[in-house]
Amino acid sequence: MEEVKEQNKTASKPKSEVVISIKGLKKSFGKKRVLTDINLEVNRGENVVVLGKSGQGKSVTIECLVGMLVPDAGSVKVFGDEVTEMDEKQLKELRMKIGFLFQSGALFDSMTVRENLEFPLTRVLKIKDEHEIDKRVKEALEGVGLTDAIDKLPSDLSGGMRKRIGLARTLIIKPEIMLYDEPTTGLDPITSREISELILEMRKKYKTTSIIITHDMECARITSDRVVIMDEGKYVAEGTFNSLHKSNNEIARSFFKDIS
Amino acid sequence: MAEQELELSGWRKLLASIGDQCVFFTRFLRNIFTGGFEWSEFVRQCYEIGYRSMMLVGITSFIMGAVLILQLRPSMVQFGQEGMLPKTLAVSLIREIGPVITALICAGKIASGIGAELGSMKVTEQIDAMEVSGANPVQYLVVTRILAVTFMVPLLTIIGDIIGLIGGFIALNFTDSVSYSLYFNKIVASIDYSDFLPAFVKTIFFGFAIGFVGCYKGFNSNKGTESVGVAANSAVVTASLWVFVIDALAVQITSILFYR
Repeated sequence: MEEVKEQNKTASKPKSEVVISIKGLKKSFGKKRVLTDINLEVNRGENVVVLGKSGQGKSVTIECLVGMLVPDAGSVKVFGDEVTEMDEKQLKELRMKIGFLFQSGALFDSMTVRENLEFPLTRVLKIKDEHEIDKRVKEALEGVGLTDAIDKLPSDLSGGMRKRIGLARTLIIKPEIMLYDEPTTGLDPITSREISELILEMRKKYKTTSIIITHDMECARITSDRVVIMDEGKYVAEGTFNSLHKSNNEIARSFFKDIS
Repeated sequence: MAEQELELSGWRKLLASIGDQCVFFTRFLRNIFTGGFEWSEFVRQCYEIGYRSMMLVGITSFIMGAVLILQLRPSMVQFGQEGMLPKTLAVSLIREIGPVITALICAGKIASGIGAELGSMKVTEQIDAMEVSGANPVQYLVVTRILAVTFMVPLLTIIGDIIGLIGGFIALNFTDSVSYSLYFNKIVASIDYSDFLPAFVKTIFFGFAIGFVGCYKGFNSNKGTESVGVAANSAVVTASLWVFVIDALAVQITSILFYR
């Protein structure tokens, strides 16, 4: 397949520090080749949106980034360190710097919202001071505008609220990198927009670098500095949202055809 | 799970599964002694597993004790040995029926519960969320559950044995008039440590097998809603099978050590 690369219009900016570097990433499940050749660099503070059809392996890429999946070939570097060569201790240290927001929010359903937010503080950061824990929980909930939900169980929350709490739980350990796996899937357009704006707000507040996996074009438009389009296990087009919108690339056009 | 990723079949799948279980067992052992032990979760699991199973074990044991007496009595009367009824009940209940019935009830209730709970946590990405946050899901979910079941099954068996003996006493008084003190004096006089100790030790192994199988099946279930049911069902079947295998081995070892 012909690979089309759009010129990034922000290329004239001074060269930034690369925090994520993926080269020649390949991953198969049995006979199914999911990632055939993934190459991506993400600079510090940048929001990169990965667009692609369902089942194309968008999530597999970010799962390789945090060491949840081991690639068959290729290099995955985060902060200059090769993830595929890390031992358990190094992986744990890396994961403390990366936040991962799952599609479902992945809240622990036997715990209240407060306990969900306390979990990474007490188990990962090993904070013992109850004042400090309480302060950080309230601050995280204020950030996502859900202070009233503190004693609720996940089953009492709506889909949008779960995503917000999931985001608060991820951001409570103040990660340097955020990986969003379809953050707006299953939400109504208004809530989707709120979540997308929240992602931008959180970037401003926590100064995070983000990869956002989505097929929601509105989310991509709001959150992206750069968009890459994935097809058949590799990235086939890259550029800003507007440049890809005007692109002649066939796959890009199929994504942008309904955008006015 | 290894065999899922590699799409193995037949004996290769079996070998991969055994290897996978060995790795899981090693992770369990390593996590007992490393990091902080999750005491609060362990106590919660003891309550959930032990206290909440007590009613079921109690009712079943009571009926079992009563039925045994009602079934044994006609034969014993035929041989003029009705005075042996308390001893026969005590030995059969404490050595074999009590531990095995309690373990089978626990395999049905606890192994399926753990399998379904961890399976649904896997499906809803809660286990992945723990892992990528840098927390240790094995320490929090697996170690606490396996140890709680290993600890509670022997206790439930003791409680079940006592209730079964009470059931036998009540059933005996339907037809005969036996005093409380005579009945229990006969029981105490007829059992010694070689009846109680091997039975108690094997319940520890029953408990471990039930906890381990439940956790392994749930923790390694596939990512689909039907896999929650598969994990629960497979946990019950495998745990029940292990109860019989351990029982058969325990009988052989006990015979060599105590009854030669």
